[in-house]
Formats: sequence, C-alpha cells, structure tokens
Amino acid sequence: MATTREEYTFADILANPHIKERWQKVRRYFFLRESTYDMSNRCNIRCQGCYYYVGDKQFAPENRDEQAWRNLLLKEKERGITFVVLAGAEPSLVADLCRACYEVIPLGAIATNGLIAIPADIDYRIHISVWGNDRTSETIRGAANMLGRQIANYHDDPRAVFIYTFTPDNIEEAREVTATLADCGQSISFNMFSAPVGYRGPLQHTVDSLKKTRDVMGELLSDYPQSVLYSTYNIVAHTEPQGLHDLFSCSYPRRNQSTDIGLGRSFRQYRTDLQWDREAACCVPDTDCDDCRHYAAGSAVVTARMYRHAVDPETFSAWLDYVDTYLAVWVREYKKGQNLCNTYIHPPVKK
Amino acid sequence: MNIETNQTISRVAEIIIDELKLEDVTPETFDPDLDLVDEVGVDSMDLATVALVLRDEYGVRIDEDDYPKLTTVRIIAQYLDDKRNGSE
Repeated sequence: MATTREEYTFADILANPHIKERWQKVRRYFFLRESTYDMSNRCNIRCQGCYYYVGDKQFAPENRDEQAWRNLLLKEKERGITFVVLAGAEPSLVADLCRACYEVIPLGAIATNGLIAIPADIDYRIHISVWGNDRTSETIRGAANMLGRQIANYHDDPRAVFIYTFTPDNIEEAREVTATLADCGQSISFNMFSAPVGYRGPLQHTVDSLKKTRDVMGELLSDYPQSVLYSTYNIVAHTEPQGLHDLFSCSYPRRNQSTDIGLGRSFRQYRTDLQWDREAACCVPDTDCDDCRHYAAGSAVVTARMYRHAVDPETFSAWLDYVDTYLAVWVREYKKGQNLCNTYIHPPVKK
Repeated sequence: MNIETNQTISRVAEIIIDELKLEDVTPETFDPDLDLVDEVGVDSMDLATVALVLRDEYGVRIDEDDYPKLTTVRIIAQYLDDKRNGSE
C-alpha cells in the first residue's frame, strides 16, 4: 500500500476506476499532432496588445491561392500533422482558404473575433475571442456591441466556444459576460493576456491581478459548471506568478532545440506566405515567453508533461482534468467530463 | 550484449507492443534497432506512457530530457540497465 507521494506507482494511480476511465478516454487523442497557420495578414478590427501585429509575421504577403493551401496541407498530412489551428490575423476573411484546409485535414480549430460567421460546412472548433464586456471591447478593440454580434453569429452552433481573455482591467466583467453566454447556452473557456515581446502596457498581468483572476475563475467554474470549460488545475497553471515556460518547460520549437520527438519535431507555425521559421515557431509567436500564460500554449505544454504529474492520484487527476478540458475546448464532438480534482495542486517540478 | 540486457530488450519490446497496441509484431520479432519515432511512429506522449510503465517495472525514473535519445528498444534497455546498475 502506498503511503507517501513518492511511493505511488502508475499502476497504483490507475487502480482508481475514475482515474483509469478518464485516462483511457484522453489517451485515445494522443494521436493529435498540431501545427498552426496564419491565414490572412488582415483583420476587420485592431485590438490593443494583439500578438499578430508584433514582429515580422504581419509583413508576410498573403498567399490566397486555394490550391497552394491545399498542397501545403497535403504535405502537412504526409509528415504526420493531424490537427490544424487556423489563426492570424482574422481567418473569417478567407473562408475559402479555411475550407481548403478542412477538406484535407478535418480536425482543427479556428481562432476568430467572431464578427463574421464562418460557414457551417467548415466543421472545425471555432474559438471566439472575448476581451471583456461591450464597453471594454469598444475601448480595447474598437468595435461596438461585440458580444451580441458574436452570439448572433454563433447561436446554437456546436462548433463555438467563447474564449474570455483576462486582463487586469476586465476581471470583474467576466461575471456578466459568463452569465450572458451561459443564458444563451454557449460554452466559455478562459485565456490570460500574455504580453507580446516588448509590450509594457496596462494589459500585462501583475501578481495582484493574477490572484484576483484566480478567484474569479474559481467562482465562475463553480457557478456555471455546465457552461465553463475549465478545471481547478487550469486555474492554477494559468494564474501562477511564474509563466508556463518556467513551470513546465515549454516544448514548442522556439524554446526547445530538440528535433527528435514531440512538438520540437513536428510543430510548425506557418505565416501567410506559407513559410515558417523554427526560431519563431510556437502557437502564439512574438509572445514574451516569460509572460506566456496563453491557453493555446498551455494546452500543449501542460499536456506534454504527463510523466511528472504521475506522482499520486490527486496530481494525476489534476493533469487529467487539464487534458480533458483541452480536448473539450479544441476538438469537435469531444465531451468534457466532470472534473476529478477540485483542490489547488501546485505544478510538480521536474525531478 | 549480456543476458540481462537481452531480457530487458524483450520486456521493453513487450511493454511497447502492449501499451501502443502494435499489431503484427511480437517481442521475439520486434527489431530492437528500429527507430521508434521514424519507423514505429512513437510520439512523445506514447513514450511518456511507456516510461511510466517502465518506472513501475524497473524502479527507474526516466528524465524528461532523456526522451529524445531513447530512440530504439535496445537503447532504452541499455538505459534501464545502466541506471539499475548505477553506471549512469
């Protein structure tokens, strides 16, 4: 019988039937291998702190040739990519290119501001970015009545999940936004503003804002369990004073020299000209790695650290909740289970 | 190659076949020098799963930083034996 954390074997941990069931559920998705693609260098709005309009990638010319995109995706498929993330600057402006991608690799997600509806036949998960209530959105993003327009575009759309990005200034507003989305039957998950390289503006989190965000996330998770796709361990991983790289050793190529296995081997971040640069390759290029708490980064980086979480049933349950959440947020048809661990577990350090 | 390593090779192959549900291969027919990533299709999550089962069986903790060099069954077996014998 195991008596201390260090004495648990993996078999001990899986002896718990709830853990074993969840483990078997999530491991079926270990085949997912992602890459990301900037679809257009244009956007219909301009948000303060947008990662896209930092660095060189914004200047890459657009390739609008559907066949060129189809050929790229075929090559991606050949090298083992099974999941695509279509992002920057605004993919809904080039729906025909998104469709070309979907027709080659049918698993994926699109990150959009939600102001232009993406045609229903492109059956990817749709991540709709929300940065506060309408008053704040108008200030930060320069667009009026955003939430109402986003909800109207994705009403009763099973592809949609709203991603609320917490900044120091919109923490309290998450309550009203979550209530509105829950009333409309929408799903919501959370993101943390992560400063682009060189950004020193008011959107950057502080120790105090991280703590406040943690409290509000916990409250919303508790109050809206049917609508909020998140877990206690998600809250921990994304609101610690340390960023994701310090906590989990980021495995994207930008911070990982190894090309032997995992993200360091397979991940690429293509720009609008269909070129990629290993030195810049991560899911949110030009983000300051020291400040990175981005939800997309966490989905890969935390998930990749399974081994270090397999130390006791509670810690492994927390990791399973995180992976279950990531899959529910990113993969169409995947249904999130009830969280297994509702206590705050500090991320385990590498041994 | 000693008897201990040969036994470890066979057991590591068996665990990989079992955990990754590989078909058309047995521990006896599994080429220990196949590149697990390039030729078998193993990825990092697969390897982490195998590493946990090996930790249970051999009491050896496999460092995350060591994953990239564990490219074949033979290398994994040698790694385990070296750790158990205290030579690494």
